[in-house]
This record gives sequence, C-alpha cells and structure tokens, in this order.
Amino acid sequence: MISRIIIRGYRRFRSLDIEPIQGMNIVVGDNESGKSTLLEAIALALTNKVNGRWTRDELNPFWFNVDAVREFFEKYGTSEQVAPPTIRIELFLSGDSPDLQQLRGVYNSRHEDDCPGVVLTIEPDDEFESEFEEYLASDPPRILPVEYYRVQWRSFADQELGRQPRALSCAYIDSRTIRSTSGVDHHTREMLSEYLDSKERAQVSVAHRRSKQQITSHTLTGINQRISQDNPDLHDRDIGIQMDQSSRTSWETGVIPQVEGIPFSMAGQGQQAAIKVALAMSRTVDRSPFVLIEEPENHLSHTSLSRLAARIRDLAGEDQQMFVATHSSFVLNRLGLDRLLLLHNGDTMKLTDLDDSTVEYFQKLAGYDTLRIALASKVVFVEGPSDELIFQRAFRDAKHMDPVDAGIDVIAMGGLTAKRALKLCAALGRRAVVLQDNDGLSVDEVREPVEQLLEAGKREMRVSDPTNGPTLEPQLIAANSEATLRSVLGLRQDANVEKWMTREKTEAALRILKSQESIAYPAYITEAIDLVA
Amino acid sequence: MNRLTLAVAGGRKTQSIVDACQQRDAHKRVLVLTYTLRNQDELRSRLARQTLASGGIEVMGWFTFLLNHWVRPYLKLAFPGRRLTGFLYDGDPGHIAGEARFLDREGRAYRRHLSKLSTEVLSASKGAVLDRLSKIYSAIYVDEVQDLNGFDLVVLEHLMRSPIELHMVGDVRQALLDTNVADQKYKQYRGPQIKRWFDLQEKAGLLSIEHNEQCWRSNQQIMDLADSVFPTDWGFQATKSMNTAPVGHDGVFVVRTTHAAAYYDRFEPLCLRHSRSTARDLELPFHNIGEVKGVGTDHVLIAPTGPSLKFLNGADELTDRSRCSLYVAITRARYSVAFVTDKDVAGLDVWEPAA
Repeated sequence: MISRIIIRGYRRFRSLDIEPIQGMNIVVGDNESGKSTLLEAIALALTNKVNGRWTRDELNPFWFNVDAVREFFEKYGTSEQVAPPTIRIELFLSGDSPDLQQLRGVYNSRHEDDCPGVVLTIEPDDEFESEFEEYLASDPPRILPVEYYRVQWRSFADQELGRQPRALSCAYIDSRTIRSTSGVDHHTREMLSEYLDSKERAQVSVAHRRSKQQITSHTLTGINQRISQDNPDLHDRDIGIQMDQSSRTSWETGVIPQVEGIPFSMAGQGQQAAIKVALAMSRTVDRSPFVLIEEPENHLSHTSLSRLAARIRDLAGEDQQMFVATHSSFVLNRLGLDRLLLLHNGDTMKLTDLDDSTVEYFQKLAGYDTLRIALASKVVFVEGPSDELIFQRAFRDAKHMDPVDAGIDVIAMGGLTAKRALKLCAALGRRAVVLQDNDGLSVDEVREPVEQLLEAGKREMRVSDPTNGPTLEPQLIAANSEATLRSVLGLRQDANVEKWMTREKTEAALRILKSQESIAYPAYITEAIDLVA
Repeated sequence: MNRLTLAVAGGRKTQSIVDACQQRDAHKRVLVLTYTLRNQDELRSRLARQTLASGGIEVMGWFTFLLNHWVRPYLKLAFPGRRLTGFLYDGDPGHIAGEARFLDREGRAYRRHLSKLSTEVLSASKGAVLDRLSKIYSAIYVDEVQDLNGFDLVVLEHLMRSPIELHMVGDVRQALLDTNVADQKYKQYRGPQIKRWFDLQEKAGLLSIEHNEQCWRSNQQIMDLADSVFPTDWGFQATKSMNTAPVGHDGVFVVRTTHAAAYYDRFEPLCLRHSRSTARDLELPFHNIGEVKGVGTDHVLIAPTGPSLKFLNGADELTDRSRCSLYVAITRARYSVAFVTDKDVAGLDVWEPAA
C-alpha cells in the first residue's frame, strides 16, 4: 500500500505531504482543492504514463505549479534568481512482497526512511542547458520550455524503472470525461524520430510554441476582453481562451501516419459511468493493488449510485488500496466517514480516529450532507429550517452581512443529534456552535450528554432559557411582544400568535426573515452570533 | 542450510542449478549468480528451454548483483549525497582512502573495489541490504563459485549468515579466473586454495560441502590424468567417468610438431595453450586456456609449458595456477588429449599419421 505521498511543484501542490490509509481513501475537498490533481499525481508516479502515453511525450508546461513558474520568471536575471521549477512526486510504499522489496532503498526525500517506493521527477535536462539559457535570454513567453526538461522515474533503490513494475499496477477510472486519443501516437513518434534528432525536434517545437503564444497574446486578446466583459459573474477569476500549449498539441499532431492509406487513430468511446467503473473494477480486482476512482457519482441516478457504492465497498479488498475522489456526501457516508481524506485550504486531514459507532451512524444516515460540515470553516447547527431562517436574519441584523459571507455555514440538524454533529466537528477540528431548544428541560440537562465534547472557543452549545418557553416560537414572543410579532407576521388582531407560529413554523420564520421591522432575539441566539462571528 | 557442491569438470554443475530451479517451490523467488557473461547466457537459455514457469528465476552477473542489490539502494548511507551512476570495469583509483577509492567523481564504481564497497554499504545500512535481499529472494545459487575471491568471499560470508539459502556450485581445480586481482583480502585463499576457505566455513557450521566425483564428459583415461594434476594431499577423491563409449581415438597421446597439422586435419581438436607466448611457431587456431572454461569437445590438443612437460615426466614443480590451467585444458576433452611436443614423454603413445 501507499503509506505516504509527497508532491512538490505539481499543479496546485507546491508542497503536499499526506499519509493515506490502508484500503479505502475517500478524497474530498472544495472545487479546485486538488482532488483530481492528487489522483492524477498518484497515477503519474505509479505508471509514468498519461492517457496511456509516456509522461515525457505528454509533458505540459501547465503541470508546473503556477506560483513557482511565476516566481521563476519574475526573478530570472535579478539578484534573487531561483532555480527553474521542478516537479517531484514520491510514493512511499509498504509491504514485504518481493516485487515491492525490489523497489526498496533510501533514495527518497525523507532520508531516514528505508522502504519501497517510487519517485517521478521532471527537471531541466543537463543536455539542453545552453538551449534553456538561450530560450530565457530571448525574452520568451512566460511558459516553461518543457522540451528542455526530462522525466526520471526511479525506485527508492535508485534504480531507473523501464517498464512498470507489477507491484505498481493501477486502475484509473475516470467517469467524468470521454478521452479522445486522436493525434500523435507511438507510431508517429517512431517514424519522426528516424528523420529528426532530438535537438532538431526541440527547435521546431519551440518555434511552434512561440507562434501559438503569439496567437494567444495578439489575436485572442480582443476575444478574451470581450469574454470577460460579457460574463463578469461567471467565475470569480478571469476566464478566457488560449492556444493549447501541451506537447499533445505540438507540431507533430499536424502529421498523421498512414499505412496503405489507412490512418492510425483511435476514437474515444463514451461509456456509461457505472459500466466503466464496474467493468474496470471487476477486471482488475485480482491484479491491481491500486484503484483510483474519479467522481463515481457522475451521470448516475441516486439508486445506481447506491448500487455502485455498495459494489465499490465489496470489491475493496484488503490487499487493494483505493482512492476515490468525490463531491458526493452520499458516496462519502456510504463508503465510511473514517476513510475521509480531506483537502482543505492546502491542508489535509484524516478522520481515522472517528469511532465506529459514528461511522456506522452516518452510513445509515447516508443522505446527510456531511461534506458541507467537512468543507465549512465554521458551522452553526440549528434544530430545523425555521431556526435556520431566524438565525440568518438575526446574524444579518447584528453583522450586516449574511452568515455565508462570514464563512459560516448554518446547518439544520434534522435527524442528526447534537452529539454526532459535535463528534464529527471534533474529529475535523471544525469550529462549531450548537443551538438547542430546552424542550422543557433545564439548561444543564440539555448540555449533559455532550458536555464532554464541548470546548470553549471551539465547540460550544447555547440552550434557550427555560423560563421563556420550550421552543423557538415562545422564545421569540418573550424577546419581543405579541403585538410586535403580530405586526411583523401580519396576523389579525384576534389570532393567537403563539398557536399560529407553532403551527406555521416555517412560514412564520420566512415572514420574519423578509420583514423590514426591527425585532429582538432571544439571548441564546445573540450569544451564538457573538461566539461564531 | 547453505550448501556447496564441489564437482569435477564435466560434472554437470550448471545443470544441477537448472534442475534445482525446476524443482523449487513455485512461489519462491530465486536468483542465479555467475561470473562470466557466457555462463549467464548459458544458464538463461537452459532455464528458458527446460523451465516453463521461469517467472521466479533471475539470472544475474556477480557485478550486477553487487551494484544493484548491495550498493545502489543504500550507497548514500555510507557516503552521504552520493549516487551510483555507473561501473568502471578497468579503472584504477590508485592508492587513496575513503570515498574516492570506490567511486569516481561522477559516481561510477570501480570494479576492483566493488565487493569491498558492498560490505561497507552493508554495514552503513545496518544490515538493511541483507534484510531487503532476503525479502526478495528465498534462495541464491552461485555457479562457478571458485571464480570469486578477496572481498567477494566476505560477501558470501554475509549471505551465508542471512536467512537466504545459499547454494554454491563449483570446482576449485578450475580456479583460473579472478574477479579481482588487486584485492588483498584473503590472499591466502586465492586460486584453488579457496578450498581451505570452504573447509573453514564448513567447520564454523555455516556450510555443508558435498562432493560429486562423477564425470559425464571425459573418459576414464583422461580423468585419471586430470586427477593426477592435484597430488593426493589436496584431498580430492578419484573421479569416476560415466563416459564409457569409445570412438576409435581414445586416451592420451603425444604429437610431434611436424605432425601437428596432420593431426589437426584428422581430428579437428580444440587447440589450447597457456598463453599467447606458448607455441608461437605452430600454425594452429590456438585458444588460451582461460577462455574455454565450461567448453566440452571431442578432442583436445595442448601445447604444454615447460613445467607441464616435466610434470608429465614425473617431476612435479607446478604452481597452483599452472595446476588449474593444466586441469582445465585436459578436462575439455571427451575422448582424447594430445600434447604437442618433440620431447619424450614417459608412458604416452606417440601419434603417427597413417602411412
């Protein structure tokens, strides 16, 4: 199994060091937190291949960490010049099998570790040192000339790996995209390499790249301006188009080899996600020690997803290690919360110390939006939808913004108990405040079952004052007056305010949320706002 | 238990390794080591021919073994920051101590100190080299073990003390090659004296030695002559030949130089000499004896050295090395051995071309 992953300089990971667990790992994170990138990086180091072709043939300047590339070009030629960006992906493995032990040694970035492993590095090729220098001196576009880079794939025994070792075989299942593999292939490359030497090819490639960059910086500039003017709300970052600079679209793709008039090209086949996952998993269950699954929830109905989740769980043998990247709380809950590997603000987190009963609890409550808790930075738990609405208005009144803009997620617990919610937050290290009705009990009686889980400044609980009534509605009446609420709610003079509110909970809360009149809030709510804001 | 099988020339030593590989537990991984390239090729092709499931068997040269399994994975523990980048077969670092003795500036290892380097890396790794090896291979076979010397023997000592089963096969009377002439370690066990080192290991309980006196190649007359090259105080048993079918020209002969060309035309013997400087006036396709180890042929013609001639006449002044050389030359032949000389040799028939 992979016991540690160290990634440096690959895409959004300037530096990442995580320790996955045996069996299933569920990779979860915000959009763009690097879930897919993590899976890609694992596959890259396991296979040295991208879309079925060797890494060096698919090298793409945009694999390099953007910040590192920017820093390099900004500082180049100044007194603070830094070394060219590099990529390094290390997989630390454990296991006593002969195949794995072949890969054992101390050539990894943690010098004290003597274990099996592989490392893939992408760094400037010494042989092209002077060409690289020339490129940089010619006021180039700020894109790394990857044709002057080399890919090395070695075991921790410092042995260059030619073929993929059996111990590293992996199944990569990506149901998001249909892969098109037209264009340059093995045959093209062989034919071309007979006519051109590597330096000639690199020269042509640089020229080609430069011309494409020109299209981007001249022809496309106007178009990009129009796009960003047309759609300012589309995304919080600038969106535009540019010429594809990866080697895949290099000059060689303009050339298609043929034999007796028939072209070598493979057509991408769209397939149903479930069939893909199921086929790939049952095919590889005896031979691939590693399975990578990208967003299995895609294109699936709820029931198919349920079946698929069960299948993934069944097939996940003890000898196999799986990495499942998902957006779906359902997948996460079903496969087991303790399997969570959270990528969050460049940090990673695991839930391995979550107790079994909590894991089981969420497996049964699989529809619960656990991911929301996992991905929030601060959480306020309220009892139900009406409490949620009232809290929102109270927060807006106090802070003049919505909770969500203050990084606070207000979550109605619904069927979830305060105890489970707090346990999960404790395991995740999330700041949380739980608001509870007293339901006729004393404050101490309500707090008693979760007292152990509370910690000032981290996890707190506020309970409504029993003298002001058991639930939200009488609490609101006590904080204001019947007359105020009657007016806010637009009720007739003869209507019983408490009775109406209790019967029409959500409607009442909605009317309060929309009302322009000012109202007061029970102390437990205002205290909670101060705690969390 | 570690085993050493000392067999005679033509004792089917290499075949015994192939057989053992075939009979191993299918799930066990074994490594077969040997010194010469030719022997590696021979082992590979025999294994490929005879073993269908050769998946768990690897054939490797001795140097590759030391480079890839001893030095490469742990080199930086002995010499921080260093990596192994290559191998210098002929280079000589001169008399320097430390890192530069083993590696050149680029990180290439010198052959002459490779086995010493291996033992240094082993101790720097605190035994991890052997732990790793023993998890990869359950058994290691060493063919032509008599070719090893100096620190190679220290490497063998470590392997014998590891959980790996070590099976060695060889013939100390054919100790002609040295992996390392410059190595001063265990100088007293050079050449055929390696037998004394084996005996010590057996006494220490690390090794059990088996003798195989059956010869499947040469006939009894030839083997009697070969046996006599090593006096009885060496402790070798008499060889029993299993080749009993005569072909019409069997035994040991003397050929006069004037008849050498005719003899060659008649029997097409493999022509052997001690070195290029021997028998320079004869126009025959000679091979140096060191090159023909492992070869079997019907007839052999030998250009004897001075001491060899004296030996044939009963005056034994042979050095260890010349004993091995003569033994190897004689035991290439299945049916006949002829010495080309104009001197008299007691007790041997002189071959005359038919009138």
